[in-house]
Amino acid sequence: MSYCVNCGVELHATCMACPLCGTRVLNPGQPVDRESPTPFPARKGDVTPVQKGDLMILISIILAVTAGVCGLLNLLIFRGSSWSLYVIGGCLLVWVFCLPIFLNRLSPYVSLFLDGAGIAMYFGIIAWLHPGSGWYPRLAFPLTVLATGLILLFAVCVRQVHASILSRAALVLGEIAVFTVAVGFLIDLFCQTALSITWSAIVLTCCVIIDAALITIIRRARLREEVRRRMHI
Amino acid sequence: MSKYMNDKNPWYRLDLSAIVYPTLQRKNFSSVYRLSVVLNETVEPDLLQKAVDRTLPRFPTFKVAMRKGVFWRYLEPNDRPGPFVEPDIANPCMPMYFQNNSRYLIRIYYYQNRISLEVFHSLSDGGGAMYLLRTMTAVYLRLKGYPIPVGFGVLDLYEEPNPEELEDAYIRYASSRVRPPRSREKTYRIRGTREPFHTLNIITGVLPVKQVLSVAKHYQVSVTEYLNAVLLHALLKKQKEDQVFRELPVSIAMPVNLRRFFPSRTLRNFITMVYPSIDPRMGEYTFEEILIQVHHYMRYYINNKFLNADITTNAAVTKNPLIRVVPLFFKDFVVRQFYKRVQDKQSSAGLTNLGVVETPEEMRPHIERFDVLMGQPFSARTNCAIVSYGENLSISFASSIVEADVERLFFRKLVQDGIHVKIESNRKTG
Repeated sequence: MSYCVNCGVELHATCMACPLCGTRVLNPGQPVDRESPTPFPARKGDVTPVQKGDLMILISIILAVTAGVCGLLNLLIFRGSSWSLYVIGGCLLVWVFCLPIFLNRLSPYVSLFLDGAGIAMYFGIIAWLHPGSGWYPRLAFPLTVLATGLILLFAVCVRQVHASILSRAALVLGEIAVFTVAVGFLIDLFCQTALSITWSAIVLTCCVIIDAALITIIRRARLREEVRRRMHI
Repeated sequence: MSKYMNDKNPWYRLDLSAIVYPTLQRKNFSSVYRLSVVLNETVEPDLLQKAVDRTLPRFPTFKVAMRKGVFWRYLEPNDRPGPFVEPDIANPCMPMYFQNNSRYLIRIYYYQNRISLEVFHSLSDGGGAMYLLRTMTAVYLRLKGYPIPVGFGVLDLYEEPNPEELEDAYIRYASSRVRPPRSREKTYRIRGTREPFHTLNIITGVLPVKQVLSVAKHYQVSVTEYLNAVLLHALLKKQKEDQVFRELPVSIAMPVNLRRFFPSRTLRNFITMVYPSIDPRMGEYTFEEILIQVHHYMRYYINNKFLNADITTNAAVTKNPLIRVVPLFFKDFVVRQFYKRVQDKQSSAGLTNLGVVETPEEMRPHIERFDVLMGQPFSARTNCAIVSYGENLSISFASSIVEADVERLFFRKLVQDGIHVKIESNRKTG
């Protein structure tokens, strides 16, 4: 048996260094036993991910049957318009929204991107059934892309950057301001009027004021402490 | 725990402590602890599996699956095949997902001479699970051909489970008319480098009981008080070494087995927490002063009146009609936030002492010692679990951080006090 020269504890015969301080065992009288089994196994266990296959099958079948039956009803009985496309698109959209529940390893970014694509697809179906005025390519599609992009940016900030609640709030307000201005511009383009900031200026001003206040609080340590003290829950 | 008797489909409410643990469940965390018995001979897996299959029906509250209701979770009997014994792994107490492992909330491992039982904390506390481990070990030894009688923690497989074993003893005893507040001061938290997911660092120290007893006697305190003081001493030293900007009190979360104060045979959770602490802002404490502080704290707080008040506070939450009608997902959210922001910050480390394990005399020649592991800590820190059997007292630290500073300071203090410590670990030292 060897003792740690630093800690004075007796070490297990298979121990090559003291687990407490890391000092190597150098005992010419009794070298480290490399043959006997160690006190703990070397095999690492893995947690098997929860199998959600049953739930996925159930929800997929319900949605597929709903979509299929409505499609058939539309084809055979209620033939007035292509109304079933709303239901089929809706089912597909719900399925896309449910993907993160089914797939444990689906990246949240991919999931958010697919959600955005699903919403754009649903708007596309509506636009296809109600053509005219080009609202989809000029208004709905760019806004969906922009909203998805901004949400993805927020997700990256929350997951990758260790930001405080105040910084996150500042980012959300900044994104709201950008989105509002973009909505204003796109409406101007859609109505074929000159680009101008009108109603969106009010939202923009509010966001800029609050953002300026938040950034000042974040940067000034004393102010930040004061706010933390007064706002603590 | 109250059992809802319906011959076909009995189900069990979670007891007062058990409610918290599933809400803390995360992808990389479960409240799982481990009890092990080290035998004097190599374990035979086939016989162990037979022993498990024979023992488990006697413990209906361990043969259950966790289910979700609208307002609360509950346990229902689980008749799926299993649980199956497995070869042990290097990272014990890994997360236990409720849907896996045939929905069982216990796992049984074997390695060389050791049988380990891992239990999700909602089923039982260490005291209750120790009955299962001892009975399982007794059945295993009987299968090996040794005559092991019933008693001293080994239950009779042929008798019906006593209703008292299944009860929620908290409800029976929570009768205080005042309820002490729950919130306490923020305490020092160890700052360490987090190990990657699925790593649990264990350091077990095996000490001769006689030496520990004589040292504790020399200080005129009990063994629990002495070891508590040693851990507090180690944490105080660690805080000093860290050179923190602002010193904070150092506190230990210690579960108290309520069966000692309120007679109950329950195999469910029946514990409450006490928090012995030292505030270094009041001045430097010598080890003797820490001992006095811990000694008096324990004598003052650990009695049936204070403990009753404590469990009444807990019971009040689940009795409140407003809280009861809130849907489960909202309760989960609130409890998790409360635990993360308040409860977890109230202690610097955890320490549990299961005390002296009793077994029938006939089992003693076959058992070397028992070990306890408190499991993966919720935040980056280290937890300490103590149990003694025969000549050996085993102290196991479980931590999810790379540094072993607290463990080193703790065991060095024991060595300084003249106690012989033998260390075993799963840390990579090569």
